[in-house]
Amino acid sequence: MSFTFPRSAAGLALLTALAAGCGTAAAAHSPATAPAMHHSARPDPAPPAASPAMTPHLHHAHPAAVAPAPPPAPPAPPTMNPIPQGNGGDQDADNNGGPSDGDGSI
Amino acid sequence: MSARSSHRGRLLLAATLAAVAVAATAIAATALAGQPARPGFPALHPAAAPASWPRATLLGGAAVLAFPPSLRRVISDADAVSAAQLGPGGGYQLYLNATPRQGAENLAHWASFRLRLLRSDDATAARLLAAAGGIQFRGGTGSCVIDTYLTRIGGHHFTEIACLIRGRASASVIVAAAPAARWARARPLLLRAVAAYQVR
Repeated sequence: MSFTFPRSAAGLALLTALAAGCGTAAAAHSPATAPAMHHSARPDPAPPAASPAMTPHLHHAHPAAVAPAPPPAPPAPPTMNPIPQGNGGDQDADNNGGPSDGDGSI
Repeated sequence: MSARSSHRGRLLLAATLAAVAVAATAIAATALAGQPARPGFPALHPAAAPASWPRATLLGGAAVLAFPPSLRRVISDADAVSAAQLGPGGGYQLYLNATPRQGAENLAHWASFRLRLLRSDDATAARLLAAAGGIQFRGGTGSCVIDTYLTRIGGHHFTEIACLIRGRASASVIVAAAPAARWARARPLLLRAVAAYQVR
C-alpha cells in the first residue's frame, strides 16, 4: 500500500503534465494567434508605416490565446467626393478639377 | 403688255435656275466632303495641321494628336496624350486629349455614353449642346458630341467637343475643351486640332 500511492501520484502528475502540454499546443495553433506566431517566427522587417490592419495583431499578440479578439473598428465614414483629389486616380486633369479626358472610365 | 410679261417670265426662270444651281452646288460640295448636313453642329473638314504644330502619338501609332504651339504637353494617363494651355493661375484655358478607346463606347451611342460618363465621373452636371455621327476624319469616321459640364472638383465650367473615331486598325477618343466662358473664342482653334486628328 505504501508503495502504490506514490506510483499513482506520479502517474497522475504525468497525466496532468501531458494534458497541460496538449492544451497549450492546441491553443498555439488556433487561428487567432497564427498571425502573431507568423511574425515572431519570421523576423521580417517592419513595414514602412504601421497600417491599421497590422496594429491589432501586434497589440494582441500575447493575450490573443486566451481572450477573444476585440470587435473590428467601425468603418470610416464615406467621403462626399468619390474622385481622388490631388492628382489621385489616373493622374489626369479631371482628378484636379480640370477638363475631363477621353478615357472610358474602366 | 405681252412683252413685259415675257420679260418677267424670263427673269423668274433665271432666278429659279440660279437658286437650283446654288442648292445643287452646296449639296455636291457637302457630298464630296463626306459631311452630311448637321443642323447646329459645326462643319469639320479633315485637314493636316500646320507643320509648326507639335505632334503627340498614341502608343503603337494608333493616332496622332497635333496641337497648337501655344499648348504644351501635360500629364495624362499612361496610354493617352494631353496638351494644354494654362492660365496665369494654372487653370486650363485650352485642353486637348487623345485616348485609345477603353470602355463600351461605340459610334452609335457616343453622345449618351460621354454624357453619362461625365455625370458619373467628373461632373456634377453635364448638358448636351450638339451631336453628330458619320463625321469624316483623317483615317477614319467618328461620332462627336459638344457638351458643357461643371466639374465635381472646383466647380469649373467647361465646354468640350469629344469625338470617338474608328480607324482601320484602332479606335480612339479626342477631347478638346475650354472654359465655357472662353469657348466661343477657343472653338476655331480647337476644331482645327480636332479636324487634324489622324487615326490609323
